[in-house]
Amino acid sequence: MWSPTETRRYSVAEITAPETYDEDGLPVQGGLMDGRLGTLEAGQKCLTCGNTAARCPGHFGHIELAEPVLHIAFIDNIHKLLLGTCRSCSRLRVPQDDLDRLSKVRRREAAYTVISQKRVPEQILEKAKKSKDCPHCGKPQYELIFTKPTIFIEKDDTGEHRLLPITIRERFSQITDTDLELLGYDPATARPEWFVLQALPVPPVTVRPSIILETGIRSEDDLTHKMVDIIRVNQRLKESKEAGTPPLIVQDLVDLLQYHTTTYFDNEVSGIPQAHHRSGRPLKTLTQRLKGKEGRFRGSLSGKRVDFSSRTVISPDPNLDLSEVGVPESVAMKLTMPEIVTEWNVERMRDLVVNGPDLYPGVNYIVRPDGVKIRLDFVEDRSTIAKTLEMGYLIERHLLDGDIVMFNRQPSLHQMSIMAHYVKVLPGKTFRLHPSVCPPYNADFDGDEMNLHVPQSEEARAEAILLMRVQDQLISPRYGGPIIGGLRDFITGSFLLTRDGTVLSREEFSNLAMLGGYGGSLPAPGAPGGAFTGKQLFSLFLPKDFNYVITSKWSKGTRGGEKDVVIKNGELISGVIDKSSIGAEEPESVLHRIAKDYGNAPAKRFLNSVLIIAKQFITHYGFSYGYADLELPERARGEIFDGIQGSYDTVYDLMSQYKRGDLKLTRGLSPAEALEAHIVNELSKARDAAGGIADSSLGHTNAGKIMASTGARGSALNIGQMAGSLGQQSRRGQRLLRGYSNRALPHFRENDDDPSAHGFVKSNYRDGLSALEFFFHAMAGREGLVDTAVRTQQSGYMQRRLINALEHIRLEYDNTVRDPHGHIIQFLYGEDGIDVAKSDHGEAFNVHRLIESQRIVDSGRAASAADVAAIAEKYTGSFNPRLRSTVAEALGGCGLSRGGLEKVGRKGLDLYDKAKVEPGQAVGIVTAQSIGEPGTQMTLRTFHFAGIRERNVTLGLPRLIELVDARKKPVTPTMDIHLEGEAASSREAAIEVALDVLQTSVSDLLASSDTDYSTHITLELDPRAMGDRGCAAGDVVDALSSNKKFKIEEHGNLLVLRLAEESETSAVIAVRNKVHGTTVRGVPDIERVTLVQKDGGWVIQTTGSNLSKVLAVRGIDRSRVETNNVSEIAGTLGIEAARNALIRQLHTTLADQGLEVDMRYIMLVADLMCSRGYMQQIGRHGVAGTKDSVLARAAFEITVPTIAHAALGGEIEKLKGVTENVIVGNNIPIGSGTVDLYMQVSKKRQK
Amino acid sequence: MAAKKQRILVPDHDYVPKHEIMSKNEAEEVLERYHCNPTELPLILVDDPAIVGLGVKPGDMIRITRASSTAGQSTYYRYVVEV
Repeated sequence: MWSPTETRRYSVAEITAPETYDEDGLPVQGGLMDGRLGTLEAGQKCLTCGNTAARCPGHFGHIELAEPVLHIAFIDNIHKLLLGTCRSCSRLRVPQDDLDRLSKVRRREAAYTVISQKRVPEQILEKAKKSKDCPHCGKPQYELIFTKPTIFIEKDDTGEHRLLPITIRERFSQITDTDLELLGYDPATARPEWFVLQALPVPPVTVRPSIILETGIRSEDDLTHKMVDIIRVNQRLKESKEAGTPPLIVQDLVDLLQYHTTTYFDNEVSGIPQAHHRSGRPLKTLTQRLKGKEGRFRGSLSGKRVDFSSRTVISPDPNLDLSEVGVPESVAMKLTMPEIVTEWNVERMRDLVVNGPDLYPGVNYIVRPDGVKIRLDFVEDRSTIAKTLEMGYLIERHLLDGDIVMFNRQPSLHQMSIMAHYVKVLPGKTFRLHPSVCPPYNADFDGDEMNLHVPQSEEARAEAILLMRVQDQLISPRYGGPIIGGLRDFITGSFLLTRDGTVLSREEFSNLAMLGGYGGSLPAPGAPGGAFTGKQLFSLFLPKDFNYVITSKWSKGTRGGEKDVVIKNGELISGVIDKSSIGAEEPESVLHRIAKDYGNAPAKRFLNSVLIIAKQFITHYGFSYGYADLELPERARGEIFDGIQGSYDTVYDLMSQYKRGDLKLTRGLSPAEALEAHIVNELSKARDAAGGIADSSLGHTNAGKIMASTGARGSALNIGQMAGSLGQQSRRGQRLLRGYSNRALPHFRENDDDPSAHGFVKSNYRDGLSALEFFFHAMAGREGLVDTAVRTQQSGYMQRRLINALEHIRLEYDNTVRDPHGHIIQFLYGEDGIDVAKSDHGEAFNVHRLIESQRIVDSGRAASAADVAAIAEKYTGSFNPRLRSTVAEALGGCGLSRGGLEKVGRKGLDLYDKAKVEPGQAVGIVTAQSIGEPGTQMTLRTFHFAGIRERNVTLGLPRLIELVDARKKPVTPTMDIHLEGEAASSREAAIEVALDVLQTSVSDLLASSDTDYSTHITLELDPRAMGDRGCAAGDVVDALSSNKKFKIEEHGNLLVLRLAEESETSAVIAVRNKVHGTTVRGVPDIERVTLVQKDGGWVIQTTGSNLSKVLAVRGIDRSRVETNNVSEIAGTLGIEAARNALIRQLHTTLADQGLEVDMRYIMLVADLMCSRGYMQQIGRHGVAGTKDSVLARAAFEITVPTIAHAALGGEIEKLKGVTENVIVGNNIPIGSGTVDLYMQVSKKRQK
Repeated sequence: MAAKKQRILVPDHDYVPKHEIMSKNEAEEVLERYHCNPTELPLILVDDPAIVGLGVKPGDMIRITRASSTAGQSTYYRYVVEV
């Protein structure tokens, strides 16, 4: 912070004139554009430093304020100090003993006071506020009224007195340094009296440049405008003070000055009007410049702009290699790659130089070793310059085939959103990519654009090749399975190729084999007449020693599935290759196995070959889908119509049952709800039946069925909706019931209960929808669009918070997971030190696979049990307990020979060592991405009825957000209470326990309640309710007896509460409400209980949660009481239990949505949230807000208050994290940036 | 009395792993192994329900033996701090 003295010292000019320029267009001396404040125009010389615009940094000036004003950024601190200090002696209003004790804590006398240290200021202020007299000087203290934003009023016996800034300043200047230190101030850098401004710094003109419009009119910056206002008012104030104007008018001027300085700092202060530009637009002042997404921190400092990049529309090209990107020639001629001229490439370089910038492939610039850069556009005779080319020259040549570039699509949700591709220069204007790399980018070709970056240094290129190539991203670090693979027509193609009966002539076979890159000799013909089978073609590209058996998706769908795909010694013996063998996002597929067992490069080669032959095959085969493929036989159409009609009749029947009152009821539902549930159920059956008929009446050769059954595209449901019936349209999970009075649309009669009037669509897409059906469909469609829009926003913000909380967390050389300040989050990453990206679907390695492949070549007698144990012992020593036992068990039962076991053991150990995480690995970022990225795929459906609508729970994205928010209470708290002893097995005993758990309050047991509003309250108990809840009148009396406001008279089921004294109506009502809310039996907050049988024992499921009280109930199994309220667990069972609960909750939330996320990531997030001993939120009030770095916090949220707070605490930026280093433009200390060089200057210094 | 009650209640829940106080030597050995100050360890509050029954005081170190879904079993350390 600057003191007034410092402000004056830094100032090169006092600014007094409100004018900026005079008539001649020259800056006014002492005006805001004074030449001493720096230079704007090129060529102009600075009057202070004599430099020209390029080198002059600009210089501060200052304004002497006629009256001091308060600094708005510190207004809260001013308020707190006024509350906490004595009005006469300015000491903290806390006894000296307490201060001494707290200062001990503050001075870090013991390491274990880390948390207490932070709470010292709070504790002091808390205490100080309460004291009526100053404990130091004994003077009475008065009440302080703070009228936002800048007015303080003191209220004493004589009335209210305004505290002027000048008084505040005087008081603050007397506060002692030790007192300030206790409050977290650093008096050396920030004295509180400096919160009151006497001299206002005027920023250099470079901070607020004026712009000259085309019309020649100068337009000043918003800050300049604001400064002009301040100077004007300041002058007026000075003049009126000198002229002796009445104090009231002077005070008005002071307030105006305060207003202008306030809006100069922050133009969005609540409680005062915004300052506007002449045009009516609000001014952008200092705070607005820094804050928010487009502000200095997030917009300019954290978001850097780069050269050597380009962006254009993308389109597919299946003829490309998976790792290639097609670059338009026009782009290749603008982006350049630096290359140094050596004796080996001079000739080539000379040719390129001769071509120049306008002929591809050419050169745009030449950089001589002396640093002079020659732009070839301006060189007339390029062949001469080409001849002068010597070793050590650097040329910037056009992109060529084979150059490595980085390709990216936003939003960059995970590491696979930026991958390194090899350039392939192509004609056209779009970037081309292989359709199979779409899933990691989440790209399609409906107009998507992508970015391309050209790394300029050897180091950058080396890192791109080593870490970022497409083939090294085949396996997703989220779950350790492949994310890239075949899709759409590639799948259909490989199915058509590999199904039984596909025969290829010798010529066809050879052509396709060559296309796939096969160079060996032809196999023996596998089909009659010297022809080959499709399976043979596929087998050519399998590794020769590859063995695998899986079930194809096609077989599962058509024949119920058995292990039909058999690959033996690299030969596809039977089964078809479809999505489950080569599909994207299919773990444990053939592709995944090849990638794991043979490496990424062979896997990429395999995929490339298979995809291109599949593509070629399906192109020749001629595969299409159209209107005619959905044509159903007349008989099937009739069946569908009859089926739907039948369901309608059932629905009518249900409705008449409901009206008669003999509808079968469901527990927990009102009759109307039950009817609705039955109808929805019946109608969904109708849709399924229609779809089923449509699906089954299409033949196996139908293109749509092939696509659906192989997993290439679409599903049976889609076919059903196209050819059968579209079915029920819904909004918010309900039929379309409302909209107009008692009807969904004005075209229906009121209370029309026909299913068609509530959104059931009988028609299908092929026949077309009626106008009303179409409208219903549009209603459901709109909901889907809105949902997607809302979801992307929510999950985007969650992702940002996760990244911010975890970005700086990395793996250290001692295998611990730490933040850059050394705080340990985990002692061993994921508790086993295995990198998921290098793992085999989450395991270090797959022993069973190793054994399987060994078995084929294994010979000799099975090893003895002792040998097995010895070998297991020998190789598993470094493994973790779980892996050790898995391996030992697998080896024990496999029956391999001793040599075979040795081999398996050695290979396993080797794989284990390779799967370990490497030091420097950005485990935090990968974790944040792995949890954030699936967020976009989650449902927004808040409620889900667990079981038969007896309890609903939040799930999907809202639940995930709730968990990482570490909320005190979830939206839908529930418990699962396991029982013990008799209650676990007997239903009767379980019910008894359930009644002890369910909260029964007085109001639950009442038939009626009455009061005369002055003397007594009458309660009539309902015997049936009491029976249900297992309560007697005595229990009610006992529960109410603690209340001393009345006496209870018991008359059977009638209780009369005589009030001790006659009271006001409102008091009686309060008593009555209190009585109604009194708990008679059970645990407070448990609103509903349901008994469920699980694993042979009874379990109580509740709505509402109260862990500590439930634990005290008899008959429950204390060790297995669960709640979804994690904070409650932290409070009653401790932080470690909370961690476990958090892991469980996060895992089930993700798994419920069918999203696979490795446990290690969930564990890291949970460990981070629990690492400080209490639950911390992922967000500004938790992990991200307590970061050690000021810049990182300022760049996340609440920018300006963060900086102000850092200023008064004299915080030091250590520049160890990620954001900080991005802001200052350094390398980030993560991954390969972790490595640093240290040098010991003097050995003596060491101790 | 409240502490005694919790001592019975807390440790027998499935979610609560084994917490034990480490001796001075053990604690120093761990700090040496990870080359860190005690404040750089994960923290646990003195009044954490899982350790109140153990008679801990601020400055102690706690060894936690966790059941782990990846490693079978793992060890974690926390430093006891004042609230």
